Amino acid sequence: MADGIRIDNLVKTYGEGETAVHALQGVDMHVGPGEVVGLIGPSGSGKSTLLKCLGAVIEPTSGRMTIGEQTIYDNEWKIPDLRALRRDRIGFIFQSPYLIPFLDVTDNVALLPMLAGVTNAKARAHAVELLTALDVAHRAKAMPSQLSGGEQQRVAIARALVSRPPVILADEPTAPLDGERALAVVKILNDMAARYQTAIIIVTHDEKIIPTFKRLYHIRDGRTHEEGGRVEPAS
Amino acid sequence: MISLAGRDILHSWGKFVFTGIGLGLLIGVTLTMAGVYRGMVDDAQAMLDNSGADLWVVQRNTLGPYAEPSSINDDVDQSIRAMPGVARAANVTYLTMQIGHAGRDVRVMVVGIKAASPGEPGQPPHLVAGRQIVRAHYEAVADVKTGFRLGDVVQVRRNRYKVVGLTSRMVSSGGDPMLFIPLKDAQQAQFLKDSDAIVRQRARTARNPALNPPGNPGMVDAVTASQTSNPYVNAVLVQIKEGFSPDQVAEPIRRWQRLTVYTRAEMEEILVDKLIATSARQIGMFLVILSIVSAAIVAFIIYTLTMGKIREIAVLKLIGTRNRTISFMILQQALGLGLIGFVVGKIAATVWAPIFPKYVLLLSSDSVRGFIAVMVICAIASLLAIRAALRIDPAEAIGG
Repeated sequence: MADGIRIDNLVKTYGEGETAVHALQGVDMHVGPGEVVGLIGPSGSGKSTLLKCLGAVIEPTSGRMTIGEQTIYDNEWKIPDLRALRRDRIGFIFQSPYLIPFLDVTDNVALLPMLAGVTNAKARAHAVELLTALDVAHRAKAMPSQLSGGEQQRVAIARALVSRPPVILADEPTAPLDGERALAVVKILNDMAARYQTAIIIVTHDEKIIPTFKRLYHIRDGRTHEEGGRVEPAS
Repeated sequence: MISLAGRDILHSWGKFVFTGIGLGLLIGVTLTMAGVYRGMVDDAQAMLDNSGADLWVVQRNTLGPYAEPSSINDDVDQSIRAMPGVARAANVTYLTMQIGHAGRDVRVMVVGIKAASPGEPGQPPHLVAGRQIVRAHYEAVADVKTGFRLGDVVQVRRNRYKVVGLTSRMVSSGGDPMLFIPLKDAQQAQFLKDSDAIVRQRARTARNPALNPPGNPGMVDAVTASQTSNPYVNAVLVQIKEGFSPDQVAEPIRRWQRLTVYTRAEMEEILVDKLIATSARQIGMFLVILSIVSAAIVAFIIYTLTMGKIREIAVLKLIGTRNRTISFMILQQALGLGLIGFVVGKIAATVWAPIFPKYVLLLSSDSVRGFIAVMVICAIASLLAIRAALRIDPAEAIGG
């Protein structure tokens, strides 16, 4: 499949010689458009390093990464402007929503398009459309501090989706939420993935949501193992 | 495009406004210091303007009468009047002293002028109340800054003077208000000895056989009279006739009267470049220090505000916000803080300037220069925070 995100034999080593830390030792992964996969693993297994590599925040040591039909990394970056890559092709959802506290909900969502030169009215209209889809449009004028945790996370999802990126990386997006809200967020992500044909990778420790993934990648000692359906949570 | 800085300022307006007020008071002090200097220059220029003189004739090789003591005979004015190009010439004396009045001390510059000679150089050019001095003794015209009122009686040395007129903006180069009294009284006051000293002087003269020779009893009285009178003034102020240049009139006076003559430009140079030069440097040092302190405060505040937003900046960088957008946000905040500070400072300086005992002149041009300086200082001060923001790793937004 040409769309989505594909990772082949991705290696990331910190340092050199005897002190080298091999965080990723040949990760293979593929997430198709409209698909939501889970990425689980114990602390120190390389989850965050993989996420940073996928997010073009740190440079892998070797391997290959492809988004859609475009190779973004092949033993070196193939994209000159990584910031533009992150802005246009990758959406991020964090453990905490990290909404900009001095912007209201609509402008938090519309910020990226506005900074990219889209007119304020057009960007806001698109933001409201997304907020409506995420059932949080009634808080469009509220400030982030006035929202509940679940509402904040839905706004963060809208922000990640606003540029219609082919890939969304979610770093423990349900960690601060209780069971019901966590499952609701995962359902929203599944719906959005299907609606916008976005490939979504969710890094999680949350045992409540693990059974919901159709496909699951387990990362251990820097290597991924694909597992389908429910897995037994790590003790 | 959305203004991130503007939104942040609106969201945290209390923090910005209170910080801006603190900074503004500092800027207000800076503007006031500049105003103090301008006031000193303006006082000096007002004194020269209001004297009505084109030339100042003073003792040879002195910077008198304001910057150095100068003493010339009080009959020199008559010969100066006869010089080509001279329209008017008037003797004048200056004496700065402390006068007790209504239970308080008032520092004044006592100016001796010829009575009943309106329009002569050295006379107060305009009165806000009362009349000019018309009697040869014991009348005074005071600047309103003395606090004296019409009819008040003030004591200068041994004599008492009735205030018959009030004038304004008649101050010395040091900002002391002027008190005009008749020339003869002023000459007497300038060199007046106390009674004991006069008695001792008379006794010494009487004991001196050269001054009190036997067989010439009138001589000691003549000598004593010459010792107690003062035939000197500090300067002769000259107005020139139309069609003559100041240098053209000054040159023959210098040559034939063997006196020093200053034109208006030269006198202004003496007052501004020599008399208040040290004060100007002093104020300049204050301005430099206050500018540095302001820059340090702005830099610290903006740096602290920026460091309080590390996560947000990391998120902005991670989701693809350009460095220049983040830098511009910080720069705008620094400039916004500077703008708030300047407005507060300008208002504060305008409000408290009239309360100062000496004249504080707040010029619009200084305000414009101050505004530009504040903006430049704020821009420079923001560099530290911008540098710190650009060093924030976007990976900080991702856990692990």
